[in-house]
Parts: sequence; structure tokens; C-alpha cells
Amino acid sequence: MAKIFSETGMASLKTFIIARVLALIPTMLILVTLVFFVMRVLPGDPVIAIVGMRAPAERVIELKKKLGLLDEAGNPVPLPIQYLNYLSRLVRGDFGRSLIWGKRPVLVEIMEHFPATVELAIAGFIVSIILGLVLGSLGGWMGGKTSSAVKTYGAITYALFIPWIGMLFQLFFAVWLGVLPVAGRIDTGLEPPTITGLYLIDSVITGRWDSFMSALRHIMLPAITLGLVISGVFTRVTRTSVEEVMRQDFVVAARARGIPEHKILIHVLKNSFVPILTMMGLQLALLMTGAVLTETTFSWPGMGTFLLERIQYRDYTTVQGTVVFFAIIVSLVNLIVDICYAYIDPRIRY
Amino acid sequence: MMGKYAKKRVAVSTTVAAVGIIVALIIGLIGGYFAGSMAAAPATATVTVTETVGAKTVTSTIQKTITSTIEKTITSTVEKTVTSVKTVPAGPAVSRIVIGVTDKVTDIDPSNAYDFYTWEVLLNTMGGLLRYAPGTTELEPGLAISYTVSPDGMEYTFRLRPNLYFADGTPMTAEDVVRSVKRVMEISGDPAWLVTEYVKDVIAVDDHTVKFILKRPVGFFPALVATAPYFPVHPAYKPKEIDSDQTAGGVGPYRIVKWVRDVELVLEANPYWWEGAPKTRQIVIKFFKDATALRMALEAGEIDIAWRTLRPTDIEDLKGKTGIKVIEVPGPYIRYIVFHMKIPPFDNPLVRKALAAAVNRKAICERIFLGTTAPLYSMVPMGMWSHKDSFLEKYGEHNLELAKKLLKEAGYSETNKLKIELWYTPTHYGDTEVDVATLIKEAWEETGMVEVTLKSAEWTTYLEYVRKGMLGAFLLGWYPDYLDPDDYTNVFVNAPHIGNAYVNSELKKLLEEASIKPTIEERTELYEKAQDIWADDAAIVPLFQGKLSIAVREDVEGVILDPTMLFRYWLIYKTS
Repeated sequence: MAKIFSETGMASLKTFIIARVLALIPTMLILVTLVFFVMRVLPGDPVIAIVGMRAPAERVIELKKKLGLLDEAGNPVPLPIQYLNYLSRLVRGDFGRSLIWGKRPVLVEIMEHFPATVELAIAGFIVSIILGLVLGSLGGWMGGKTSSAVKTYGAITYALFIPWIGMLFQLFFAVWLGVLPVAGRIDTGLEPPTITGLYLIDSVITGRWDSFMSALRHIMLPAITLGLVISGVFTRVTRTSVEEVMRQDFVVAARARGIPEHKILIHVLKNSFVPILTMMGLQLALLMTGAVLTETTFSWPGMGTFLLERIQYRDYTTVQGTVVFFAIIVSLVNLIVDICYAYIDPRIRY
Repeated sequence: MMGKYAKKRVAVSTTVAAVGIIVALIIGLIGGYFAGSMAAAPATATVTVTETVGAKTVTSTIQKTITSTIEKTITSTVEKTVTSVKTVPAGPAVSRIVIGVTDKVTDIDPSNAYDFYTWEVLLNTMGGLLRYAPGTTELEPGLAISYTVSPDGMEYTFRLRPNLYFADGTPMTAEDVVRSVKRVMEISGDPAWLVTEYVKDVIAVDDHTVKFILKRPVGFFPALVATAPYFPVHPAYKPKEIDSDQTAGGVGPYRIVKWVRDVELVLEANPYWWEGAPKTRQIVIKFFKDATALRMALEAGEIDIAWRTLRPTDIEDLKGKTGIKVIEVPGPYIRYIVFHMKIPPFDNPLVRKALAAAVNRKAICERIFLGTTAPLYSMVPMGMWSHKDSFLEKYGEHNLELAKKLLKEAGYSETNKLKIELWYTPTHYGDTEVDVATLIKEAWEETGMVEVTLKSAEWTTYLEYVRKGMLGAFLLGWYPDYLDPDDYTNVFVNAPHIGNAYVNSELKKLLEEASIKPTIEERTELYEKAQDIWADDAAIVPLFQGKLSIAVREDVEGVILDPTMLFRYWLIYKTS
């Protein structure tokens, strides 16, 4: 798409952004449709799961009517009609209500869990970037045994099982050394006033340093666990990318002209960054949808475990609403990544 | 002049060295902070609390410990004026106990809450007209000091205690009981049947007297009244809809001061509770998503109590740990095999009896649950009045000889094996379920005349199959709604929701009669007969009964568990 724009001289970055935003609509429509129908063809009656085995048939029917699965006469509402009803509510911003536990608005439930996911995603992402970029660059730059060692590191870390490594960290740092907490997001009573929902940021903004340190202590182990496993991906991509750029003519030319190595390194890194940026965008988008294993291990109240639980309970509306929400988030992250390309690589223009 | 690779190495080394120094500095700073925070004595702050009660002002100064090493002076004055004259009891010492659970709270609303853990929270923040005496299954006065029953058993009249107040000081009267019960009936939530099935009407005779008019005589009505749907709730609860996150509570030992769903629940002593101050001022409940993290949090001292639910291996391991004690009592939770009476070959009583005889309960309890469950030989659990080991008396335990004899009579042999499927659900009852099914299969196949295929389905799907009567032999579990043999027996006979077409008119009549008899002695006689008939039918075969296990730090006392499965926070305290 970038090439077409530059050749024809057509669209500006602004046009590109608008086009990408508009493209979100069919993407989300496909996703919503898929989820809607898949949830309904799966075996298992969610209403029975909600009301329990002992509920009399009348209660089951009454609940099905409330949920729009049966009409007033007790006849099943056709799936296409259910689908259209759902879409019409969605365009009005109504994500629906959960089918379980008090029938709370889906959007409210999502926003209760999303900040925790964002915080963990960013922290884990930072750890993975630091480890991945540094080691990958080292391996790509040095070559030889260093490159092999980095390759091995990437393979091992990527194969690590998060609950296992997380448990080891908990055992060592929390139980044996007692310097970090086992689980949770912050100590009782130290939550900062809510501004963004991200405890680290909110505590800095409000000057609550006790909250900041508590939140920092709690996020360290899950962030390091998550970051360590993901760093394997970044290590590999960075190493490969740096190695490829190192083979380019400009590097040879720069050396021939006596340019210091550390300056050459900067240029090599800049040129190798586009594929790394792509991977960063993908990983960050993925992290924003929740890291189920990490959240479970560290009892982190994020989107991953929230969605998993609602799938198990066949909570249709919550699952659908969450998927739509994720689609928006992932698309936005990808859009930001695409925009960043232009700043990283002057050769890319829109 | 330096070679190409030498220059590279120098450049990289310099960079690496710089990064290393920066990282070391950061680690040093953070490590220094933590070392300092571990060593420093906690700062203290003074909080002044002033309460004005009628014409009386009470000021108390509480030394409050804060954990931050940053010196901070906290001074706050809380003024609270209440309009009615009442006694403010002396508060408990400032203390906190942290309880960890892997359970969750669903709706903090008795009109829809229908799980044990939420009922536990409701018990500790509300209260019923009657309640169970700690450590027993005996009912004692709660919000009501007495009750009478009309001669025909159709009316129960409860006399409330005087001077009952909700946690914010609002007086509670009989009208609140009526309002709350009618609210449950109107909202018709999941547990509403516990009221609507039995109660025709409820009226306030006067401010302190409530009368329930029943649809039919029910001998276990007092046990029902002790359940959450009968708890009076604060007027703040929405009258016609479920109020999931309402924290106004009822008349209980604690009030909710903070509720973050799936993260933590903070309770503080209710200063107006009729029984006086609880032993611990603040209870914090932390919700864990993983039993391993729960266990480690206990070992690390982050929580004082690890309650529901630790794994059997963790329980056994914690028993040997210094500084931790494990308390176990028989629980009310039972597991059983269900046979469909109309699906061959289970429609043949000889087959059902043979399989009932061959089951090896002891192996399941010892090998899988490491002794945290006990073999069960009746649907009425051990520890409950009228319990009788009817299956043990009739079939013995892992009685392969009897099983083979019965199978031969049914026409099966080593060359003509009985081929059956056994269904289970892999996670709903814990991740040990596949092992339970495997051991049952092993026991049946030990006869040499049975071939078992194990099948599984995730819970929602499993439930659907069960309800539709699609399964021939399957595993289920039962937690009681109310502690009475009726809830372990009557609900399973002539009951479509169990999915096994178990119909026995004689048994049903016996159980109906037992449910309305007024005395335990009369009821016991009938339930014992019922258990014998049950064993003879072998339509539902009891397997084992769960134990309740709780692990606590050694300085925690007052932990009392019983078959209600409801942990009473107001009794627990720390000795240091």
C-alpha cells in the first residue's frame, strides 16, 4: 500500500489514516459475525450453565425470553434475527449485558479489567524489548559464537512455559527471599486515585510514592516472566535483521571511510528496525488482549483470565463485546505502528 | 592500527560496559530501597476518631501502623452523628487478618447469589433469623431469639431480638424481613426456589415479630431460614432487581468497606452488631486465580489463611511446614455415580448392583485425594443425623466376588464382557476428575467382565447432555443448599434435572413423608429406610465425601469449620 501511494503521488498520511480507520469497519463486522455464530453453534446450553441443573423448566424459559433466545410465545428466535438485533444494539454503542452474575454492562466489566492488562502489557513489553533488542543486536553485530549463543537464548526463552518460570520466580523472590510479592497488583489500601487506571502512572501523577513502590514491586515478577518469554521472539528477529543489514554495501563503505564503529552501529540499528517494529506492533497488540497464563500465575486481574472465564460460562454477550473491543484495540495499535514506519524509514512515504 | 573486528569489539564492549553500569546502578538503587524498607521500623501515625452518638461523644485515639518508610504524619478526624440513641460497644483491637481464596464472589445480593463462597460473604456481612452453631449442624438463634410452629406446621412465627441495626445504624425491624423475603420472591433469582417452593406469604405481625405462612408443612423449614435468601437486607438494595455490587449489607458482624471484583474484598467490624464486636477489626479477602499462588502467599506470609481451595498435594505438604497449621473436618460435599435407568445396560438392576459392588472408594480417597476425602456409603453424608452406611452393608467395599456373581446372573462373562461408557467432566470438579474416572474404570475392569470407555465433556456441554438424559453412566457432585437429609435425597428421586429417569414411587413417598415430620427422631427412622431402598436400587451410587481443609499461620486462632462450609470470620483472631 505504501508503494502505491508513493508512486502515484496520491494520498497523504492523513488519507492513509482515514482509509485504515474505515477499513476497521468490515474487519470488525467479520469478527463479530464469526464470534456470534461460533458461540451459538458450540454444544452446551449457556442458560442451563447459568441457572443450574435444578432450575425448573419455567425458569429456563423465562431467562431465554429475557435473553432474546425465545420470543414471547416461547418459540425460538431465528439466529439471523438474533444477529440483527445484536448488531443494531452494537452500532448504538450498547455492548450488551453479561449473562451471568448480575447482568452487568459488558463495557463496564471490560473497563474494570483492561487497565490491568495495559499495565502488564507495557511492562512486559519493555522488558522484552530491552532484552530482545540488546541481545539481538549483540548477536547480529558480533556474529560467530556470540550470534550462536544469542540464537540459543532465543530458542530457550521462547520455549519456556510461563506458569513454570513464573512459579520459580515466585518461589525464589517471594517465598525464599521475601523481597517481592507472590501475586496481586498492589497492597491493600494503597491504590492510587483513579485517573488512567494504571497504578504506576496514577501514583506518579498524584504523588503517591508508597503506591508507586507497591505497584512496582507487584508488577516486577509478572513483567519479567512475560518479558523474558517474549524476548525470545525479539532476539531472533533483531539478530536476523541486524545480520542482514550488516551485509549491505553502506556498512562496508562506512568502514572504508573510517567512520567509528559505534556510529555505524546506530545506522545499522536504524535500518534494521522496520521488521523489528512490525514484530513489536504484533506482540503489543497481542499483549493488549491479555496474557492468560501470566495473569493466572500471578493473579493479575486482566482481560486474559476474564475472557477465558466468560467463554467457559458461554457468556455470549461478554465474549462478543470483548472481541469487538479487542478488534478496535488491535487495529489502533497496528495503525500506530504503520505511522511509525514513516518516521523510522524515510524511504516509506504515503 | 586496529583491525575491523578489533574496532567492532571495542565499540561493542564500550556500549555493553555502559549499559552494564547503568543496569547495575538501577539494581543497586532498587535493592537498596528494598533492603532499607525491610530493615526500617514501620512508622506510626495517630488517627483520631470522634463519634457522636445522640448526646454522647466518644473520642478514641488509635495507633495506626503504616508500612512506608517515608515519614508521614496522618491526622484525621472522623465525625459521625447518628440520630438514635444506642450503645456503641468498645471496638476490637486494631488488627487485620488476610484470607486468600481461589473462589469468587458472584452477586453480593441474596436474591441471586447461589454459590458457597458468596454465601459465606453474606453470612459475615448479613445474618439470618436462625444460624448454625459453630462447629455443628445444629441451629441456634440468630436475628430471631425464638420461633413457634403452628400445630398444622403451616405457620412459623419468629420473634426478633430487640435493638437490631444495619451497619450504618439504620434500625432493622420485622418489616425489613418481610421486604427482603418478598424481594427474593419477586426478583426470582437463582436461589429463589428456596423461598418460593415453600413460602406462600410472609407478614410482619409487629415490629419484632415475623410470620411465615407456608404452602405445605415442611419439617426442615428452620434449616431453610438459615440460608442466604432469607437474610434481611439494607433498604439500599434495589427492590425489584438484582443488585450485584451493593455493599450496604445487612445485620452482620462485618460491613463491606471496599469491593474490587476478583481482586479483594475488605470488611470492617460492624459497630452495631447485636453480638458485640468481632475479634478482628478488619478482614481482607484476596482473590487468587491459582491454587499454587495461594499456597505460596501463605508461606510467604502475605496472607494469614489459605481457604478454598488448596490442592490435596499442597494440603499434605503444608502439614509439615513450620509456622503453618492445617485444620481438616468432614465436609458436606459428596460425589457419586449416576446410572440412567432407561439406557441399556443400566436399566438392568443386576448391572447397576454389580458396578456398585465393584467400586473401590478407598483407592480413590487414598491415591488421588491423599486422604482429604473419605469413602461414602450413603447419599446422606457422614456426620449428618440419620446417616447409614447402606451401600457398605449391602455390597461391601470393592467386592469383586459379588460383582462377578451379579454380572454372571445378568448374562456377562470374561468372553462376553459388559461394554459401557463412563462420562466425566474434566475441570468443573477439579483437575483430579480424570483420575477419579480412571480408578473407577480400573475397579470395574478388575472383574474381568467389564470393558469401560472413558468419555468427557466440558461442563456446559456435560450439563446439557445430563439434562437431556443422553448419558448412561456419569459422575456428578453435590453441595447442599440446606443442611438436611432432604436436600441429599428427595431432590434426586423423580427428578428430571438429574438426567437418569430415576423413579421410585415408594421411595418418593417415604421421602415426602420424612420431609414433613416434625421431629428428628421420626424423620430419622424414615430416612434410614429410604437409604436402604436407595442402596437396593443402585441408581445413584455414592463414592466419597469431601473434607474441608484450611491452612493458617500458626498465630491465627478461632478457626472453626463445619459442614455448613461457611467460615465465620467474626471468631478468628491473631495471637501475635
